[in-house]
Amino acid sequence: MKVDLTTNLGGLKLKNPVLTASGTFGFGEEYARFYDLSLLGGVTVKGITLQPRIGNPVPRIAETPSGMLNAVGLENPGLEAFLSTCLPRLERLNTAVIVNISGFSLEEYAQLAAALPEDSCIAAIEVNISCPNIKDGGMAFGTDPRSAGKVLAVTRKQTRLPLIAKLSPNVTDIGAIAKAVADNGADIISLINTLLGMRIDIKTGRPVLANTMGGLSGPAVLPVAVRMVYQVYKAVRLPIIGMGGISCWQDAVEFMLAGAAAVSVGTANFVNPLAPLEIIHGLEAYCREKGYHSVQELVGLAHCKEELTNDGKR
Amino acid sequence: MLSQEKIISHRLLGLQHGIHQLVLRGAIAATAQPGQFVHLKVGATTEPLLRRPISIARIDRARGEITLFYRVAGRGTALLAGAKEGETLSVLGPVGKGFALPGEGELLLVAGGIGIFPLFSLLEAVDRSRVKVKVLWGAESREFFEGAGLAVLRELDVAYEVATLDGSLGQKGLVTDLLASNLRREGGGQGMLPSVMPGFGRGDSVLRVAACGPRGMLKAVTELCLRQAVPVEVCLEERMACGVGACLGCVCTVTTAAGPARRRVCTDGPVFDGREVVWDEG
Repeated sequence: MKVDLTTNLGGLKLKNPVLTASGTFGFGEEYARFYDLSLLGGVTVKGITLQPRIGNPVPRIAETPSGMLNAVGLENPGLEAFLSTCLPRLERLNTAVIVNISGFSLEEYAQLAAALPEDSCIAAIEVNISCPNIKDGGMAFGTDPRSAGKVLAVTRKQTRLPLIAKLSPNVTDIGAIAKAVADNGADIISLINTLLGMRIDIKTGRPVLANTMGGLSGPAVLPVAVRMVYQVYKAVRLPIIGMGGISCWQDAVEFMLAGAAAVSVGTANFVNPLAPLEIIHGLEAYCREKGYHSVQELVGLAHCKEELTNDGKR
Repeated sequence: MLSQEKIISHRLLGLQHGIHQLVLRGAIAATAQPGQFVHLKVGATTEPLLRRPISIARIDRARGEITLFYRVAGRGTALLAGAKEGETLSVLGPVGKGFALPGEGELLLVAGGIGIFPLFSLLEAVDRSRVKVKVLWGAESREFFEGAGLAVLRELDVAYEVATLDGSLGQKGLVTDLLASNLRREGGGQGMLPSVMPGFGRGDSVLRVAACGPRGMLKAVTELCLRQAVPVEVCLEERMACGVGACLGCVCTVTTAAGPARRRVCTDGPVFDGREVVWDEG
């Protein structure tokens, strides 16, 4: 039996539901040495900002139980260099490219969205309102429904490309943020970004990270991410890209059952560069075994039936 | 890039310093260059999560083997120490930009502690019939050297000097003291090494320095070299996640014409021109 892996996320059409997560995959080239990236549903590239950023000092990395903290601080070459240098190389990867953008003001988000060409390999824009590692902007936008909505609204006006709102888990009510971005032009919701965390070196008595705090990722965050995908699936009708600690196909299945229509692989790339491919194959085999014709039949199955049929809405 | 390497031998060199020698057979040896490293998966579970970067100390292309030395410093290396001969390890590599290989002139290898290991690979790769090589190595005590492959150095039959903090072997003091006395000029020539090796530093032949060790040591080595206009390459270490240049976790700062810039230690390095590295960061 052939399993249909194609995935349509509100206008973003993918050959399969497995993407890579922003910040873990550079601009694609690093992992293109391991396999043909056109096998992926798509790649989400390192977050870009209007101006080049040198990022935070080191140490930027700290290991944690079954996870890691990072505080890279959005190091990136800036919009201009992205368009002139990175984008032409991305075109050659022959895969759907999602460009992650971060602004320090509403104006910057608008400028970034306006500058990304609609007739290139760019398949969608991921609006990062959740970076925990920069002082202004970033997560500040994503932890308040009103400002999250405003970012999406100004970005929406500048582009016809599908807009993905990347949400922060560092909030009390993820559903309220999801509703705000859904009401302001987001086509897709991706979550979770990293959880704010910290480690202290007991030899020196000082924080391990130069930035003091950083974003927690890896298998340690998986249950938090699954819970939030589940909550967002209940709160809004937009398609969801689920991520947070996915390192094998079983994790991907769990996210899809919670309500994710696609998944992103992040930190697992660092440990197993082939993880995204193994997940695609594992998803296909699982569907075949379970008798599903399309991988999309998995989406949201963990929600009980009454809730789903109530009023034709979730 | 991803290789399953078989453990040919794995042994502890000395209890006190917990340094192990690990010989792996697989695809890495065919292309490994001096100064490159491998990124090893140390266990089968998510704890610890990340791979461990370990420099390649010896490369035996004929046998398809690489030798690594590592010190047990935490959970990851402790787990690695339990890997048995005959087992296989998932190895990513060889990674990074290694040392320049001089074809002539003189080469001083300057090591602090376990910083000697990446220099072993350079020492073995250099054509010593054309390049005069000498090793300067500093560590805490005689015991350290005995448990850290001093035998390998003897086996390689190379001129060397050692310094110990406690004076139990070689000169009492730091490896930078050894470097300073080796770099001391005699007259106006460039990069003279007058007294230590007969014939060393004579004539117009160019002297280069390659160094690996703690950051403070590398900074001091670079300053000494700059003062004498001696080219110096340094092998840096930094907390690392992906090991392929994607995550930007392991950067250092270098000076460029356009101002300070970040470089990835894993793929732009780990070997850098000492003159470029910004040693004091805010």
